[in-house]
Amino acid sequence: MIGPIPLSHVLLASGALFAIGVAGALLRRNAIQIFLSIELMMNAANLALIGYGAALGTQQGQIIVFFVIAIAAAEASVGLAIFVAIFRHTETIDVNKINLLKW
Amino acid sequence: MDALLRDHLVSVVVFLPLAGAVLLLLLPRSAASAARNIAFGVSVLDLIVSVPLWTRFLVGVPGFQLRERIDWIPQLGITYNVGLDGISLLLVMLTTVLTPVSLLFSLTHVEKEVRGYSVAFLVLETGMLGSLVALDLALFYVFWEVMLVPMYFIIGIWGGPRRIYASMKFFLFTMSGSLLMFLAILFVAIRHHTATGAWSFALEDLTRMTFTGRVETYLFLAFALAFAIKVPVFPLHTWLPDAHTEAPTAGSIILAGVMLKLGAYGYLRFALPLFPDAAMRFAPWLGVLGVIGVIYGAMVAYAQHDMKRLVAYSSVSHLGLVVIGIGAFTTMSLSGSILQMVNHGLSTGALFLLVGVLYERRHTRELDAYGGIAAVVPVTTALFLIATLSSIGLPGLNGFVGEFTILLGTWLSPHRWWSAAAATGVILSAIYMLTLVQRVFWNPLVVEENRKLTDVRPSEFVAAATLVVLMVWIGVRPNDVLDRIRPAVESLQKSVAARQVALHESARPEISEVRR
Amino acid sequence: MTFAFHASDWLLLAPELFLTAMGLLLLGLSVALGKTKEDFLAFLATVSVGITGALVAFVATRPERATPILGGAFVVDNFALFFKALVLLSLALTVLASARYVGAAPYPGGEYYALLLFSGVGMLFMASGNNLISIYVALELMALSSYVLAGYFKAEPKSTEAALKYFILGAFSSGVLLYGLSLVYGAGGVMGLPELAKLLASASRSNLLMLGILLILAGLLFKIAAVPFHVWTPDVYEGSPTPVTAFFSVGPKVAAYAILARIFYVAFAKFHADWGFVVALVSAATMVLGNVAALLQSNVKRMLAYSSIANAGYALLGVLGFRTEWGLWGILIYLLAYTFMNFGAFTLIILLESKGYAGESVSDFNGLAKRSMPAAVVMLLFLLSLAGIPPTAGFIGKYYLFTAAMKAGYAWLAILAVVMSAVSLFYYFRIAAAMFFTEGSPAKLKSSYALSAVIAVCAVGTLVIGVVPQPFLEVLKSCVLGR
Repeated sequence: MIGPIPLSHVLLASGALFAIGVAGALLRRNAIQIFLSIELMMNAANLALIGYGAALGTQQGQIIVFFVIAIAAAEASVGLAIFVAIFRHTETIDVNKINLLKW
Repeated sequence: MDALLRDHLVSVVVFLPLAGAVLLLLLPRSAASAARNIAFGVSVLDLIVSVPLWTRFLVGVPGFQLRERIDWIPQLGITYNVGLDGISLLLVMLTTVLTPVSLLFSLTHVEKEVRGYSVAFLVLETGMLGSLVALDLALFYVFWEVMLVPMYFIIGIWGGPRRIYASMKFFLFTMSGSLLMFLAILFVAIRHHTATGAWSFALEDLTRMTFTGRVETYLFLAFALAFAIKVPVFPLHTWLPDAHTEAPTAGSIILAGVMLKLGAYGYLRFALPLFPDAAMRFAPWLGVLGVIGVIYGAMVAYAQHDMKRLVAYSSVSHLGLVVIGIGAFTTMSLSGSILQMVNHGLSTGALFLLVGVLYERRHTRELDAYGGIAAVVPVTTALFLIATLSSIGLPGLNGFVGEFTILLGTWLSPHRWWSAAAATGVILSAIYMLTLVQRVFWNPLVVEENRKLTDVRPSEFVAAATLVVLMVWIGVRPNDVLDRIRPAVESLQKSVAARQVALHESARPEISEVRR
Repeated sequence: MTFAFHASDWLLLAPELFLTAMGLLLLGLSVALGKTKEDFLAFLATVSVGITGALVAFVATRPERATPILGGAFVVDNFALFFKALVLLSLALTVLASARYVGAAPYPGGEYYALLLFSGVGMLFMASGNNLISIYVALELMALSSYVLAGYFKAEPKSTEAALKYFILGAFSSGVLLYGLSLVYGAGGVMGLPELAKLLASASRSNLLMLGILLILAGLLFKIAAVPFHVWTPDVYEGSPTPVTAFFSVGPKVAAYAILARIFYVAFAKFHADWGFVVALVSAATMVLGNVAALLQSNVKRMLAYSSIANAGYALLGVLGFRTEWGLWGILIYLLAYTFMNFGAFTLIILLESKGYAGESVSDFNGLAKRSMPAAVVMLLFLLSLAGIPPTAGFIGKYYLFTAAMKAGYAWLAILAVVMSAVSLFYYFRIAAAMFFTEGSPAKLKSSYALSAVIAVCAVGTLVIGVVPQPFLEVLKSCVLGR
């Protein structure tokens, strides 16, 4: 139990978020939407880490989340920069239309 | 220097050509004639150095002689472990003779990238000699692979019009077989390690292992496949005609003369002693494939219009005979097979060489382009005729001794009909080879260009005559050779028989064990 | 759990700290210098890597490294030192191979070298990572720098496209990895690998834990480009600047193998029956797909990309064979051999690349033997080694891997690996045939001292490991996890 919310509920929510993230990353064709889906996956992991940390009574879970958030921010800056660079060439960030390489 | 030659004679013979190759690499690339002469000189020197092998070899003594053993990769139990018995001695001598012969021919006939050509030949010689003397399976595998690469280039760079296809085919066929063999070697060594706690790849250690049932069958097949491709045993022969047709003359001489023998040699040296039970179970199949090879090779050879292709298919046929002798597994048939390997090396080497002589002058190998040239080139004709007679087994020449010993030895085995079938092959070989001679040298001279043909040059004559002398020598004094073969063959048979008895007495344990 | 920090911990991290500082310095210099004095920057980067190597050698002599540092986040055992040396080797080769290439490109070189060094820092940390979260952070440091490196030629559409693909799939895989980490964390609230091993030793199988392990495996298989997580490889390898491709094919892969081996050997050894089966299937699929797809390529960079996928499949045999020391030895010696031979092959492409994308198609290798015999012979050596033909380094590596697989009872995989090695000869020897058997452009090859040095180092490494492997094997023996 984490306060009034049982761990299983937290895990269910996290699992659902992860599933939505994976589905979005695989099905979406716009690079930014794919990237947002990946962010969902990472936050699903964050939620699970916090939930477990609280349920097991250790702080490690919460501490790790800070690392993950920092990395996610770094990833966002790199990713968006790459999107801008590719938009300059192709005027699109639809991954189906970016096909100089065979993919 | 004396100590080196005394204690490390085998190593000197094996690595002298490699040293020559390194020396050549220091020359400028354009120094064609120097490269040519150095390569030929090194190969002659190697021949001279190898003569003491023959004289110092103790006739009638079984087992390996002139041994050397140095740790190479101690952690894996891999040693530099070499030595000779009668079988390897003969093939080593054949190699040291055929390499200078083919280089002598190349002296006048190779213009392109001479330095690279010479380097390739010398590396090839080291690879072949090493494979013949190695008594450590890992070492053998290394030499076996080293041999492939130069031949790939010899065919691919200095070959005929379809050389790239032929070299690829040659390389992929032989390589696929040997990779499976590598895995089998590894498996045997691991079993040895599990059983004794020590790593070893030495033939003596590994032959003490006993394998049974399916495991032995698979291991045997992995080895046998690698060697059968090399021989080549029907139906794995398809790379051979292409490789021979496209290879330069000297490459064909070495390929037919030595490299094909390494398949049969590897079978006798490694596959048989390591897996005697499976080898004996598969021997009937081997014999049948040999019979098919003899007849099929002969018939296809008869249908050829290209001289070189004809000689190539005759190799398939002749090596089928060797395979039959091995399959029959009597002392006599085995001795005959080994002798026949040498004979085939000499006669086919000479045939390829003389076909090369004609080709260099007319730039065609079509049978129809010749005819009636016996009067124009009498010396070539004489040499060609002797090589042909040797190849079809005329008494007084070497081929007769080999073929007769195989046929008789096989007749003494339970498989008499092989002998009958093989005899048919011998007759067929007389037909197609004499037809070849007839069509090239005797029929009426219709093509005008042939009147301007020139006879052999001195260098070509020396090269071919060397082989002819050896043919006559073995034909007249076969016991010089057979005496050296017999102890090796007998000890091979003894070890196989002893292990078979042991195997059937013990209750066929599922897991291999080491017999001390 | 208490975190114990000692001053000596920082001493043991000296290589990483120094390399970070040099990366920052290069970044600063790049702002100041722009597109000038690039040779100096390349020189500086080379020297930094060299000094870092010396620091690693210094760290190796310290007795303090027997215990994990920074509260168990990192460990400097012999295994880690081996991988650090390997990472620095690939880094040094990359810097040298890049000098001319980057100098000719219109982008500032300082940033390039800084990114390389940062990526190197990430890999050094990966080699030492002893805790799932420190491993994750190190992996991201390496990956984020790599994404930018892939798109470094930002005016080239192909390069930016490679960066996009690398980024999207890389970020996806690290998301998967992270979720796996969180599930494993849930099993007992610990992240340290030794603690996990202790915990799992008494834990029973639970579905969430298995899912966690599987997701971590999937995330790492992506980094080593194993099927079915390989799709990014050919595109990224083809599109990236060639020195970067050469770097990707060795450095990050080597580092990923370090953490894959460490996580699965140390923490998840108990459940080997569960993940072993998956790894075996992945290895088989990787070898088959990598080799068969390579057959169909006409672009050499793509061909080598598929060949490196196939090589990842061979190296997985070592992960499977972890129950005997042969598995670990196999991974180590194979990756060492692979670094030399694969980097060497890519450097030859750089050498041929004069302008645009030449040097990439098989036909660009036509007649190389005429243009430069040493170049052709050396390339042949790399190809032979990649195909595993003795006496070359690749043969010794495969020897260990096949032994490991057979000892672990995966004889069928070893047979498949051998069959696939035979298949690989087809495409490796297409390049060999082009170099030696066909006529090509008569233009002389233009090399530089740096490129020649890289090729010479790779060739010597490939040949020496093949002919006199004994000293290397002695080193391997001491490379045990945790010591």
